[in-house]
Amino acid sequence: MNTGDDKPDARFWRKAYGLALSIFAVEVVLLYLFTVRFA
Amino acid sequence: MNRLDYLVLIATILAIPLYGLWRTRGRASLRQYLRGDASIRWATIGLSVLATQAGPITFLSMPGQAYESGIGFIQNYFGQPLALIIVCAVFVPIYQRLKVYTAYQYLGKRFDRKTQLLGAFLFLVQRGIAAGITIYAPAIILSAVLGWRLDLTIWLAGGVVIIYTVAGGTKIVSITQRYQMIVILVGMAIAFAVAVYRLSPDLSFQNTLSVAGKMGKLEAVDFSVDPHRRYTFWSGLIGGFFLALSYFGADQSQVGRYLVGGSLKESRLGLLFNAAVKVPMQFFILLLGAIVFMFYQFEKPPLFFNQPAYQRAVANGHGPPLAALQTQFDDVFVQKRALIREVSSASSQLSPNEREMAITKLRGLDAQARELRDRSKTVLEQAGVDPKNKDSDYVFITFILQQMPHGLVGLLIAVILCATMSAVAATLNALGSTTAIDFYRPLIRPHASDHHYVVAAKALTALWGLIAIGVASFASLVENLIEAGNILGSVFYGSILGLFLAAFFIRRVKGSAVFFGGLAAQALVFILFATTNIGYLWYNLIGCTAVLVLAPILQQTIFRRTEVPTGV
Repeated sequence: MNTGDDKPDARFWRKAYGLALSIFAVEVVLLYLFTVRFA
Repeated sequence: MNRLDYLVLIATILAIPLYGLWRTRGRASLRQYLRGDASIRWATIGLSVLATQAGPITFLSMPGQAYESGIGFIQNYFGQPLALIIVCAVFVPIYQRLKVYTAYQYLGKRFDRKTQLLGAFLFLVQRGIAAGITIYAPAIILSAVLGWRLDLTIWLAGGVVIIYTVAGGTKIVSITQRYQMIVILVGMAIAFAVAVYRLSPDLSFQNTLSVAGKMGKLEAVDFSVDPHRRYTFWSGLIGGFFLALSYFGADQSQVGRYLVGGSLKESRLGLLFNAAVKVPMQFFILLLGAIVFMFYQFEKPPLFFNQPAYQRAVANGHGPPLAALQTQFDDVFVQKRALIREVSSASSQLSPNEREMAITKLRGLDAQARELRDRSKTVLEQAGVDPKNKDSDYVFITFILQQMPHGLVGLLIAVILCATMSAVAATLNALGSTTAIDFYRPLIRPHASDHHYVVAAKALTALWGLIAIGVASFASLVENLIEAGNILGSVFYGSILGLFLAAFFIRRVKGSAVFFGGLAAQALVFILFATTNIGYLWYNLIGCTAVLVLAPILQQTIFRRTEVPTGV
């Protein structure tokens, strides 16, 4: 889908989305470790 | 609550709207009234989106939910980061490029006016009722425990919101939500610290968590594929994804928050901020509930937290059965406390086997305590005292009132009212904007002045505020109204999301096919709701899928001739 972004901008946002996904993945891993440790 | 508490409470809930009114003083154009101005940055947008979603139930009910069932509810938010990224990548650029005031204007531009009106109508019905419930739910709890009059509590929360939302429009909603959310986060962080401080000195914090975990309160992630389990990683990721996509992409109360200011970059950063902080924030709120649970393993909790209801049952002549249950409950409490000390003591002489047996016994005692609480609820019902809320909704407010120092009690009541005001303000602003832009302007006065539409938007926002207060005032007449509100959202969200996804991703479908596909999908959801017993979260997926399947079929059969978009 054409979002109207130019190329450097699109690269920036791809990195931003990747970062957000990575943060979420780290959060889930930490919650899983928390569960394993205490539950 | 003493004078200091009331001072903190009144100062907090009035200072923020007054500051907002000062910041938004002067005459605004329609664009400024509905979209704010370019001074609004991503941090304000992010906090505003966070505040709109949170609402009072998050801060009143979530700790009680963890107290009762553990922190597994966190998994319901797992679909949200993914949904927010899709909203950033697909929805926001389109809304910003077309410079729409409401999400449903996009449906008009992409399809036709009747589809725009269908999307807007489904939103208005659902959110109009939800706004009333958002006011009613905390009002009934606060009025019960603080002895306030219910109607005055409803008018206090609702009246202040109507005044400032009507006066300042979208910009004041964003500004006030920013500061209200800061008060909420600071208040909850202090509550967390105080709860940890008030824990028994018999146990270290780590031991406290270990015992809470052994008692089943700290299972944050469950990868089970058993469909009967209420909260799992998979149901949260998949079900939560569709719910969040519909909520953030197609619900004007959220769309209006991130379109404020008109900058694509600021909107996206505000949403990505939410993608990053939502799960940790909910985790700490739920963990607070688990800590309150551990606090009440050493400090005797009431048999029934909703004490006003309990006292009414005693006054109605049901004192003896409640006293008998109380005696058994006290006995279980003493046994539990002794066992926890034994299990977690550093000088414990228990072998691993004995320890395991003690933990099993501890779980049994906890189940016994829960059963006694359930039986006390049955006695209350027999006494003609049927509390509309779950007793777990009263856990955190009881802890606040009984265990927090003065001043902080006022601040935490302000947190609950701030959460109510911020969620209601966003909803009223969205209801007023949608009625003015999607109905009033195209259907009633198509060629009036800019100022005329500002006045109309203000009048319609005030009207929706009065409707919300009306719904809140009569809510007590309806059984299980809060649950009904949740179901109502899921019943409508799927079809609305289907309209938007068809618009974005199925290029060949046109207005009539999507419109009738949407109506048929909504009818299908109503029929399933009336005739089956499936979990209501599934309606999001069913409604959405039905639109995406039916619209192309209708386009290829009944509506083969293409149409030209005519909406505004």
